[in-house]
Amino acid sequence: MNLIQKARMKSPWILHFNAGSCNGCDIEILSCLTPVYDIERFGAVNVGNPKHADVLLVTGPVNRRNERVLRNLYDQMLDPKIVVAVGTCASSGGVFQNCYNCMGGVDKVIPVDVYVPGCAAKPETIIEGLILGLEKLAKMPSKPKKGAQPAEART
Amino acid sequence: MRDLLIPILVLSPMAGGALALILRGRAARSALVALSAAALVFAAVALASNGLMRYTPGPLTTIDWNRVVLAADVVLLGWFLALAWTRRHPGAFSLALLQAVGFAFLEIRYGERLRVTQGFVVDWLAIAMVLLVSILGSAIALYAIPYMDEHERHHPGVPSRQPRFFALILVFLGAMNGLALSNNLYWTYLFWEITTLCCVLLIAHDGTAEAVASSNRALWMNLVGGCAFLAAILMLAHAQPIGEAMAIDRLVGGPTPYLVPVALLCLAGFTKSAQLPFQGWLLGAMVAPTPVSALLHSSTMVKAGVYLVIRCAPAMQDTGLTNVVALAGAFTFVATAMVAISQRNAKRVLAYSTISNLGLIIACAGLNTAMAVSAAVMLLLFHAVSKALLFLAAGAIEQRIGSREIERMEGLVLRMPWTTALTVLGVLTMLLPPFGVLVSKWAALESAAREPAAMVLFVLGSAFTVLFWVRWIGRLMAVEPGREPEMTEQMPALFRWTMGSVAALAVLLSLLVTQVMQRFVAPVVASYLQVGSEGFRATVADLESRIGSFPVLGLALSLLIAVALAVILASGRRAPTVPYLCGEPPAEGAELAPLGPGDRPAPVRVSGTYLERFFAEERHAAWMTVGGVLLTAAMLGVAAL
Amino acid sequence: MSTPEIAIRLFAAVLLAPIAGMLLVGLDRRISARLQGRVGPPVTQPFYDLVKLLAKQGDTTSRFQTACLALYLASNVVSLAMVFLGQDLLVMLFVVAFGAVAYIVGGFSAKSPYSQLGTQREMLQLLTYEPLLIFLAVGIYLRTGSFLAADVLRLERPLLPELPVFALTLVVVYCIKLRKSPFDIAASAHHGHQEVVRGPLSEVAGPSLALVELAHWYELPLLLSIAALLWATPLWAGVLLGLACLLASIVVDNVAARLTWSWMLRFGWAVAVPASIANLLYLYATRGGGS
Ligand code: SF4
Repeated sequence: MNLIQKARMKSPWILHFNAGSCNGCDIEILSCLTPVYDIERFGAVNVGNPKHADVLLVTGPVNRRNERVLRNLYDQMLDPKIVVAVGTCASSGGVFQNCYNCMGGVDKVIPVDVYVPGCAAKPETIIEGLILGLEKLAKMPSKPKKGAQPAEART
Repeated sequence: MRDLLIPILVLSPMAGGALALILRGRAARSALVALSAAALVFAAVALASNGLMRYTPGPLTTIDWNRVVLAADVVLLGWFLALAWTRRHPGAFSLALLQAVGFAFLEIRYGERLRVTQGFVVDWLAIAMVLLVSILGSAIALYAIPYMDEHERHHPGVPSRQPRFFALILVFLGAMNGLALSNNLYWTYLFWEITTLCCVLLIAHDGTAEAVASSNRALWMNLVGGCAFLAAILMLAHAQPIGEAMAIDRLVGGPTPYLVPVALLCLAGFTKSAQLPFQGWLLGAMVAPTPVSALLHSSTMVKAGVYLVIRCAPAMQDTGLTNVVALAGAFTFVATAMVAISQRNAKRVLAYSTISNLGLIIACAGLNTAMAVSAAVMLLLFHAVSKALLFLAAGAIEQRIGSREIERMEGLVLRMPWTTALTVLGVLTMLLPPFGVLVSKWAALESAAREPAAMVLFVLGSAFTVLFWVRWIGRLMAVEPGREPEMTEQMPALFRWTMGSVAALAVLLSLLVTQVMQRFVAPVVASYLQVGSEGFRATVADLESRIGSFPVLGLALSLLIAVALAVILASGRRAPTVPYLCGEPPAEGAELAPLGPGDRPAPVRVSGTYLERFFAEERHAAWMTVGGVLLTAAMLGVAAL
Repeated sequence: MSTPEIAIRLFAAVLLAPIAGMLLVGLDRRISARLQGRVGPPVTQPFYDLVKLLAKQGDTTSRFQTACLALYLASNVVSLAMVFLGQDLLVMLFVVAFGAVAYIVGGFSAKSPYSQLGTQREMLQLLTYEPLLIFLAVGIYLRTGSFLAADVLRLERPLLPELPVFALTLVVVYCIKLRKSPFDIAASAHHGHQEVVRGPLSEVAGPSLALVELAHWYELPLLLSIAALLWATPLWAGVLLGLACLLASIVVDNVAARLTWSWMLRFGWAVAVPASIANLLYLYATRGGGS
């Protein structure tokens, strides 16, 4: 593992976006920051700005109002970047599946790298999903990628 | 040749001005301005390379020059009276009348004592001043040619007032040189009053109600200064029975028994330099076309006031007077810098900053140590160049966008990249190391370090200064993320050349600050305060004093490396992006407008902060004026005791 | 100073100090985490952050802002080098101000609401701490008779007993400069805090952001060495004093809430500035030492 890869592994800056979630998963993401889980141990920081972020954590099924926001946030993040869909809603639409206003999952809008299951997703699972994503992030090429990539890893 | 220099410097622009009134064509006028400019620059440089000298003009055929001056004084005072009368301004009229009566009394009672035999003395301070006036003045006069054409398009006046405008500008340049070189208060007084007259007439150039009102204010305030000047002459004439009573080199060669006249001269200097409580006229004067502001109200005429105070410095050494002068200057420095924060009009910001810097110069002259006087002279030079550049740029901007409001200049770098670049450069030379103004401020601070009041005021004033400058550059440079300016811009060739050369001068002068110190400042201080190396020593790399050192060369090199590094780092490819608006993408085509309720663009407005809550003019006007009046009164009182 | 000695000092300022700075930034984050009952990141965390930022692709920062941030970094390097070389303190502070101005102008150049808002506040922060630092330099001058940092090292007695207020104002300066509560109104350095989306840095990304991180590595040693001037003999006591100030600012950060800019301005100009002036007046009144 070279230095850049190691640095990418050890310094994931996270942007958290609620795309119509019921707030259940959001609370679990925030609890990752608390003393109990303390993801800053791994260098992870919750940033408020896509331009600084490496990892996009999305909760919720994505609806027609926030679809363009999600796409814009994703575009504003610099490469290399990964997307983690947190919770069943974000992975597949969950209980909102087939709702008239719902897209039915993050991967209908932007490419997703890791799907974290659970309703709500448990903090331990979220952290594990993050780590899985980071392994992928570290291996990303150092040249800018072209076009969207298909979803791969699943926990 | 040597003997021709001073007549060229003083009389040739005046003659050019008179001709400009007669030859009314645009081409002839431009040629006259260009010729006068060339003559002035040439003569000033020749004067500088010639160094110290004395010169007294021989009689004009059979007429003694003293008679010419007397006649000119009479005409001038008559003009003031007529002007105040036609403008129906009782205050100005009574001041003009007071001066006329005083002058008549002076002539009748002491006429013979006033005859001048030692006309001009050229010392380094005078040379510095002449260089400033001639070089900057020429650049600004040339800049005014395209500017006034455009100006007339916006304010059509029938018939064109341009001949009068350029005549006044040229006469003014001659008078300024005369003022700097003249060694006799009696002659200086004439030049002083000519500059006042030019200033008053030029402010009223547009003839609008506002212009006339501002002109009237400038008239009466400067007439107060004129009265003080005349009173000083009267007292000196009364006190010294022998001839040459008015020779500046004698009067201010060292501590003098005549403190009250010196205090009166300082008062005159305060009015001309728009120190508190006389700041009003300079602010009003901003209605004048911008070349006037650049020439009279920032780089030259207002410098006459501080020039006089610096001249007086040796005379008031180790007196209470000098402390009060220092305090008054520092008070103006801090108060006007503070109020400048709340100003939304770029020219008013420039005006306040000018007053503020003049205050700092006066404060340094008042501190009256070798270091402080060095700081004063340096500031006089560097401030003039940078401020002239800023005014010229502000004028170019105003003509293009039709406004002086800082908020309207938002993102100007996209529309006028070169002018903006010059403006930013001008501000940086006012603000940052290793540029000259900052070196002078450093010198000022170090020289004030032993004087608690002055030091505290200097520090606080400097903090305020940063704020309004930075905010202005900030507005100019504000561009939505994802857009890059293209460096192309249409502007008149004369704009390009004059602004470019003033900018080059500002940078070059700053790089050569140690040379400037050695050539101009150190001799002034040495001759002035009769001290050896107490001030600053200039080596190749550093400017050193007893208590500190400014590594000019080191910092300039560091800056160069840093800028090169910055350019390299900034030259990489940039990916397209949009500003962060809480995640919402900006609406198509609109600037900074995310889609809001109903999917309609909801524009985001950004603007500068003016902190009116703390620094609004109205909040502070009263105590500033009261403080100014008290300090001025204290100045006269201390001198009288 | 001989040429080799200058070279050694420059080496220390340009290469060694930032490493210490990096560890201090890491330590800062770790202490903060401990104060919050967490474990916190390893102390080398800032290093990985920097490498990661440098390896980001497709920088979207405007060219002008990148250039401004590079100048900000350069000013931190130069000012630190000036302290190490024993140069004039006032000039050093002007160089620091140069960096602050570059940073602010860079922030203003990005026309986005958060960048603008944050930068306005940054400007007010400069207005608050700038006089405090200059007063400190004047205070030092009044006892050493010189503005040169080198002359402070020649003193026999420490300055702190006569300049006690300045240790306190220095904590205020630390809090402001290191973007700590209650003064982290422009952009919180506190990772995890997101006041106005990191203000002046809202539109800065990737390698350009790395410049800022790197600049912080120089900023901390700079602030420490300013504190060290107050207890320059022996120098290690001064370094301890600087660390104490840093610790104080970290504690303040963790116990205080973020306050408004107007509160900061009032606090600075109604409490810290008068307190500094009072200390200076005491020095003027008991004019000893100096020349
Ligand atoms: S997955 Fe469950 S907890 Fe999470 S957002 Fe959906 S409904 Fe809420």
